[in-house]
Parts: sequence; structure tokens; C-alpha cells
Amino acid sequence: MSQKIILDVDPGHDDAMAILLAAASPEIDLLAITTVAGNQTLPKTTLNARRVCSVAGITGVPVAAGCDRPLVREQRIAANIHGESGLDGPTFAGEPSVPLDPRHAVDLIIDTLMASDGDIMLVPVGPLTNIGMAMRREPRIVEKIKHISIMGGAWGFGNQTPSAEFNILVDPEAARIVFESGAPITMCGLELTHQAKATAAVVQRFADLKTPLGDFVVEMLTFFGSTYKKMHNFDGPPVHDPTAVAWVIDPTMVETQPAHVDIETHAEFSYGRTVVDLDDVMKLPKNTLVATKLDVDRFWDLMVGAIASYSATPAAR
Amino acid sequence: MKYLLDGDPGHDDMVAFLLAAKHLDVVGITSVHGNTPLVNSTRNALRVVEMGGLTNIPVARGRARPLVNAPVYAPEIHGVSGLDGMDLPEPTTRLHELDAVDFIIEMSHQHANDLWLVPTGPLTNVAAAFIKDTTLGERISGISLMGGSLTYGNSTPAAEFNIWADPEAADVVFRSGVPIKMFGLNVTRMANATKAELAHIREIGNPVAVTVGTLLEFYRSSLENVFGLTGASLHDPLAVAVFIKPELFTMKPMHVAIELHGTLTRGMTVCDYRYVGTDEKRQAEGLDAIEHGETPNAEVAVDMDVPGFFDLLYETLALY
Repeated sequence: MSQKIILDVDPGHDDAMAILLAAASPEIDLLAITTVAGNQTLPKTTLNARRVCSVAGITGVPVAAGCDRPLVREQRIAANIHGESGLDGPTFAGEPSVPLDPRHAVDLIIDTLMASDGDIMLVPVGPLTNIGMAMRREPRIVEKIKHISIMGGAWGFGNQTPSAEFNILVDPEAARIVFESGAPITMCGLELTHQAKATAAVVQRFADLKTPLGDFVVEMLTFFGSTYKKMHNFDGPPVHDPTAVAWVIDPTMVETQPAHVDIETHAEFSYGRTVVDLDDVMKLPKNTLVATKLDVDRFWDLMVGAIASYSATPAAR
Repeated sequence: MKYLLDGDPGHDDMVAFLLAAKHLDVVGITSVHGNTPLVNSTRNALRVVEMGGLTNIPVARGRARPLVNAPVYAPEIHGVSGLDGMDLPEPTTRLHELDAVDFIIEMSHQHANDLWLVPTGPLTNVAAAFIKDTTLGERISGISLMGGSLTYGNSTPAAEFNIWADPEAADVVFRSGVPIKMFGLNVTRMANATKAELAHIREIGNPVAVTVGTLLEFYRSSLENVFGLTGASLHDPLAVAVFIKPELFTMKPMHVAIELHGTLTRGMTVCDYRYVGTDEKRQAEGLDAIEHGETPNAEVAVDMDVPGFFDLLYETLALY
């Protein structure tokens, strides 16, 4: 039985990798891709999601646009990392062939969950605006959600501020709704995702596939690597988002520790922080599986294998 | 160089005092609320100087309450006396006639530009001295403190006890502009005295070492019960040890902000780890576009030589 998921994204280079991994994996039944404002504005992230699907030949998976700004705060984007298009690096000619689903992402999420037998996982890898909004719009979805595998947060240092990771910082109020919802959560934060660095050796593995999609991935990772080098002096960009998909595919690939996690929404320096009680100081219910360690070799084998599985598909730019 | 120790003894404060007294020119000890109410921490400071034969060091009583919030204590860690584990005699030494805040200011005049403050409890006394005498920062060489953490706490998931106990005071200190050395939980929990280290301390054999080893065993068992730790974290002595053997520590310059307003993160030391050098250095290394964080206001301990620290501790206790 493959696991049904809805993938909520803001592509974004690593979001693109998450889409490609989820759509290729036999362990996953990708019900829908929903988009949100985050790494770039909503029109750009939505266009990018359609482009990635078109390039890879992912058809039959609805792509629906969601919320175009955080619940409360001013919008914040990451053009310094993902470029003006949100997916700088590869070039595209014209409109993508994959259409935009007419439904609003929040409606799609609610309707899909409510019609389900409680067997769907949500995999949000951008700001949690769509999921938080869906929970407020239809609280009954919480009991329908089998699990939420989130890319976001950090218990150590943040990336956008010293204490906050980008996805949570962008919409802390939405994140708080999700973490306080009671739905079971896996949190793939920076401590995990920074283990998934696309080093030169990793990029070479995609190049060695000598397939159109392999080349597309190399183009993405090359741009993503250049901005991570420039902005953070990283040797190899951390490919955050597919780790949340990898946990769904094979939870043994990711070590986790149960902990109470809540979101700081009122602070001066540390708003947007995932306050992770790994030491159980507060003796509160453990609402989250906090991802701590990635089996890096198996993760890249999985990722390379997924891209290789598209070998028959001509990349249609 | 002269040193003024400010603490809330507290088992690890005791070790800090004993370590400093044998190596550094200590001009005084000031007590503060914290691990235990002020009446206890003051009595314990006197007990420690008497136990160590250090009654030539003046002890001045400090502030009983934080600047703003209500006091919080840690009896679950240090016992109801603040120094549980052995009944030390009631002290007979008299306190200094000045209170801690005036004592700090007075010492800063007597030893202008030649004085480090070494606070190992909540920063109330030091902050109050800065507030009372706005020129204090011009006369002290710096502040070496135990407090805060890189990224996680022990009083809350975000805040370490000394900062949590008086965040506004910490804010005053970290904004003061004087050089700061910060020894937070990330490194102080490495100074982990397990049963083996405590046995070694008792085996040194002199009465002070036996007493210290016995008292620390109470502290070790508290930390095991409360936090599940394997040993006694000797937090406070690190802020002293850096002056005796600076090579024991790896320090990194960072900007440290104190979170005062968080619902969940109040008392957090928000450490901007992103600093990679001055504008000139970044330019020379081609890193001018990097996210480089705010200009550092502190040297933050990020790593330490644990065996080297314990050697120093054993050697020092053998001197008593």
C-alpha cells in the first residue's frame, strides 16, 4: 500500500526536489500538490510547481494555488536564495503544459481530507499558511490527518534569524495553529536538513545519469549551491524539503526523538522559533517527532534513484 | 588584574570561588539571589570563605530580588539551604559594610581599568551597579559570566537559569558595551563531574577537598534526578578558569541579545552565530555578500578541554 499524501510547497529548488521525489516513489500516492507563498510570491511558486511537473512529465496530479500571504504578518520571500523566479538556474520556454487546478488549495486540502478514511498524510515544506488556514476553516480535518511531516524549524540556530528557520518565521501564527492542533507531527528542521547537503560528489551523481531530468536537477542544484555559497558560505546547498518526503517513504531513514514543540509568536528577537523541549524541561505532552539524524547515503541513493526513474521522460521545457 | 566574584552559592559557585582564590587576585565576593534566597546565598558565601580559609576576602551582600520579575529559586538542584549535602558550621565572619552594588562601584574606583567582574548567578547586582553608576563601564576591564546557552535552556527549553531569573538585568549587562565572556550551558554541561570525578576530588584527602566532594555529590544526584544528567555540571568555575588557563576554551565572537518579550523564549540568549569577521576581513576573503550577523558584543565559549579543566580543579583543591 502506498501512502497517500498532499504535498504543500513553495518552489523553490528544494521544493522541486521534493515534488520529483514524491511523484517518482512507489511508496507514495501523490494526491495533490498545493502551493503557497514563501520562497517567492504565490504566482511564482505556483508557476514553478507546474513547470517542475511539466518538465518531469508528472500528469494527473492536481496543482492548486493556496494562500498568497501569511495569516498575519507581512510577506517575506527568499529571492536571495532561490532567485527572482523562485527557481533560477534552469531555463524554461513558454507556459508549462501542466494546468492549474481551479480549486483553492485550502478547499482542496479540506475536501480531500474530509472525503478520506483518515489515511492521508500532509507534507508541508513551505510556510504553514495553507495548513493553518485549512484547520481554522474546517477544524474536523485534524482528526482526518494521519500525520504531518513538516520541513521547518530548528532547535539550534535558525537560518533567517539567529533563532528562526525561514518557513516558520514567515508565518509563525500558522505554524502555531498546526503545532497546537493535536495532529501527529514529524518536524524535519535544520539540524536534519543540513545533513542533506548536495556536495559536488552528489551533484555529479545526478550528472552521471545523463538524462534530461538529471541535467535539470544539476542546473537547479548549481544555482542553489551558488546562492548558499554566497549567502551562507556553505559547500553544497542543504536540500531541505525532500527529507520530509523521505521520512514518509521510509521512516527508518530518519532518526527522531519525541518532544514538545511550540511556536514563539510574540518575541522581539526570537519570534518564529520552534521551541523544542528535547530535554523535557516543561513536562508537556510530546506532540512532535523531532528529526535528529539522517541516513545521508540512503537519502541520496533514494533521491538519485527517483530522478533516474524519470529516464524515459524527455524534459519538456 | 583584579577579580570580583558575584554569585548565588550554590554548589558550583562554591567551586568557582575556591578555584579563583588560589590563582587570582580576588578583591571580594558579592552575593545575590538565585539558586537560593539571598539570605542563604550570603550565608553560603561566608561558609565557603571560612571553609577555605579565605576570610581575608571581603563578602558583601547583594540584591534579594530581580530588577523586574519575581524571584525564582532552584531548591530542587541545590537543596533548601542552597548548599545542601553537608552541614557546614554557621559562619561568624562579618559582612562588608557596603552592599554589593556599592561595593562593585567602589572596587571599580579602587582598581580602575584593572578589574574583571565574574558573575555566576543572576546578573542583578551587576546590572544595578551599571544603572546606579553610568560610568561603571569605563572603569572595568570586562565581565566573565556563567549564563545563557547556545540554543537551549534548563529553566525552559529556551532559557538558562541565571538569565531566566533576571532577564532585564542580563539585558543591561549585554548592552553595556564592556567586553563580555559568556560561558553557557552548551559548554558548562561538558564540565561534567560524574561519580568518578567526585571520587577523585574526595581522594585528594584534605578537608576542603573532602567537603567539596561530599557537597558536589548532593548536587550530582539532584541533577540526575531532575534532568537525568550523568554528572554534576560544574557551570560556574568555567567563568573563572578562563583567566587561569585561557587555552582550555574555544571562544567565538557573537552578538548576544537577551529575549525579554517572548511568551516561550523569555530569557533566551539569542546568539548570532553568523559573525565571520569585520567588513574588511569579509571583503578580503570574498565573503562580503554573506549573512554575517550583528557586530559581536561577547566572546561566547563554544568548546573546552574537559580533562585539562579537571586537572586544574584537582591541582587547585590539592592546594587547600
